[in-house]
Amino acid sequence: MSKKLINKARGLSDKAIAWIFITPTVLLLLAINIYPLFYAISMSFTNFYANKIGKEIKWVGLKNYIKVLGKESVWERMQITANFMFWTLLIQALIGLGLALLLNKKFKGNELLTTLIVLPMMLSPAVVGTFWTYLYNPQVGVFSYIMNFFYNFGPIDMIGSSVLAPWSIVIVDTWMWTPFTMLICLAGLRSIPDYLYEAAEVDRASRWQQFIYITLPSVLPFLLLALLFRGIENFKMFDMVVELTSGGPGSATELASIQLKREAFEKWKTGYSSAYAVILFVTIFGFGNVYVKVMNKIKDR
Amino acid sequence: MASVHLENINKSFGSINALSNLNLEIKDGEFFVLLGPTGAGKTTTLRIVSGLEMPDSGNIFFNEELVNNVQPAFRNTSYVFQQYSLYPHYSVYDNLAFPLRSPLRKSDKKTIDDRVHEIAKLLKIENKLNNKATQLSGGEMQRVSLGRALVRDPNIYLMDEPLSSLDAKLREELRVELKKIQTDLYATILYVTHDQIEATTMADRIGVLKEGLLTQVGTPQEIYEEPNSIYVANRLGSPKINILDNKQIHNSQNSSASYVGIRPEDIKIDQNGSYNVKIETTELLGAETLVSFKSDTVNGILLTQENINVGEGDNIKIGINETKILYFDNNEQRMR
Repeated sequence: MSKKLINKARGLSDKAIAWIFITPTVLLLLAINIYPLFYAISMSFTNFYANKIGKEIKWVGLKNYIKVLGKESVWERMQITANFMFWTLLIQALIGLGLALLLNKKFKGNELLTTLIVLPMMLSPAVVGTFWTYLYNPQVGVFSYIMNFFYNFGPIDMIGSSVLAPWSIVIVDTWMWTPFTMLICLAGLRSIPDYLYEAAEVDRASRWQQFIYITLPSVLPFLLLALLFRGIENFKMFDMVVELTSGGPGSATELASIQLKREAFEKWKTGYSSAYAVILFVTIFGFGNVYVKVMNKIKDR
Repeated sequence: MASVHLENINKSFGSINALSNLNLEIKDGEFFVLLGPTGAGKTTTLRIVSGLEMPDSGNIFFNEELVNNVQPAFRNTSYVFQQYSLYPHYSVYDNLAFPLRSPLRKSDKKTIDDRVHEIAKLLKIENKLNNKATQLSGGEMQRVSLGRALVRDPNIYLMDEPLSSLDAKLREELRVELKKIQTDLYATILYVTHDQIEATTMADRIGVLKEGLLTQVGTPQEIYEEPNSIYVANRLGSPKINILDNKQIHNSQNSSASYVGIRPEDIKIDQNGSYNVKIETTELLGAETLVSFKSDTVNGILLTQENINVGEGDNIKIGINETKILYFDNNEQRMR
């Protein structure tokens, strides 16, 4: 029997064999990614409510899209998301690259330290969100305690204050994901051959010139790639923030994805939230594509 | 430019002795070539002079000034690396201008521009100035790397096989050019190579390295005519010197010698010669003909400028210029 199969396979072209190998994956992808995507797009043009079974589904055209884009609260959530992304990416790029530069030096315990720094990344975002609520506790939390060590602020309520809450999620995301940018930057730094620095040293370049002329251009493509991954992730950020602040206080930390989830599965406005989801998808897809183009240009420079 | 003096330099990497007790004096304005095979310690010597490597023991002097603890940037040497070491993200122009932009030497834009173009013209890479350093062929990279060293006027130029990946014609041109630059600038150059032709054509003096030991220092002529060991005799001269057993030489002048060395040009086809040999192969090298011969007792090669009308398999008589025979003892050292 197996011999028969082998003989059969022998008669097939390379292309046919390739198709045989990828077909199961393609089918799976079609079933759980592509089909729902198109289903969602089709629903976004209807007034479908997932909790009202039996109600007639009516084609409403672009009405849902107009409603989403005309809503002030949607634009507010977009702004909150943009703010969150801007600060997390900026801080993670700076600290990540800084840590990578430090860890790239050869010293004792360097590998142990790398492992320790990378640990937060390994945790589940929901767990991180939950235990940071304890760290942020204004009365007994470690965060408040440490801040008061430097200056007598009194109890700091990071999650309860609408001014501080957006920063609370920025801090937690930075704590958790800076190791990721660091790791990728470190890979970039390790790829720079020593002899370039030796040449620069003999050419009497200062440390700063060596950084600008050799280190930065070599590591930049890596850093941009890390930021692309982080940007896409943080645009969709949900679990950590829900556990930490549940979008509160008020809607101070309600990111677009959290609002979307509420519209879809608390208010059950399925058609409307499908339109919202499609808009978010197109946004991140567009930004992602532009970013990749720019990144490739920098890499080819 | 400066004179460079290395005194009792020792350097080992783990259990490998890269350099043992190296003493070297390079005079101001001298073209000094270190000759040796791979792993002889040539590159290590350059790195120690540049300051990229610290010797385990010994002293380095520039103009009789101790520079052991001086950082590479302040030693002001320029270095042509074997692996080019161009800055990959920048154009050829920026690579050449890089050393001139050092904060240790303030040059204005115009000076830098003039100097870069001057060097680019010299090395025939003017049309490549706007290319990225990674978009060059091996030979072009090597020329840029050479140019990056030549734009400056350092204490000493250190060159690690800078012509190795050029094609034969360009190598010949640059050999002449480099020697000319050196005499014009009265530059001190420490040049490392395994190519004996580069060594003999450019060097004021040659140092022959063997496994970290400097076995002989002298002018190319001295090294060629008076090698102090079989090793040195073998390193210089193309075609290679014939090394024969002393016993096979008729009327040897030195009965205690074990080996003799005879340059191919000191053996002649001679009707009255005292050796009967058979020709194995002949190779025409243009003006000269290379003949390899064999007999029961001696075999070797000879070089003749005469038009010979003998071919492979022919029996001939050869004579040896006995005044030019070099005698070596059983440790392969020269006997005088």
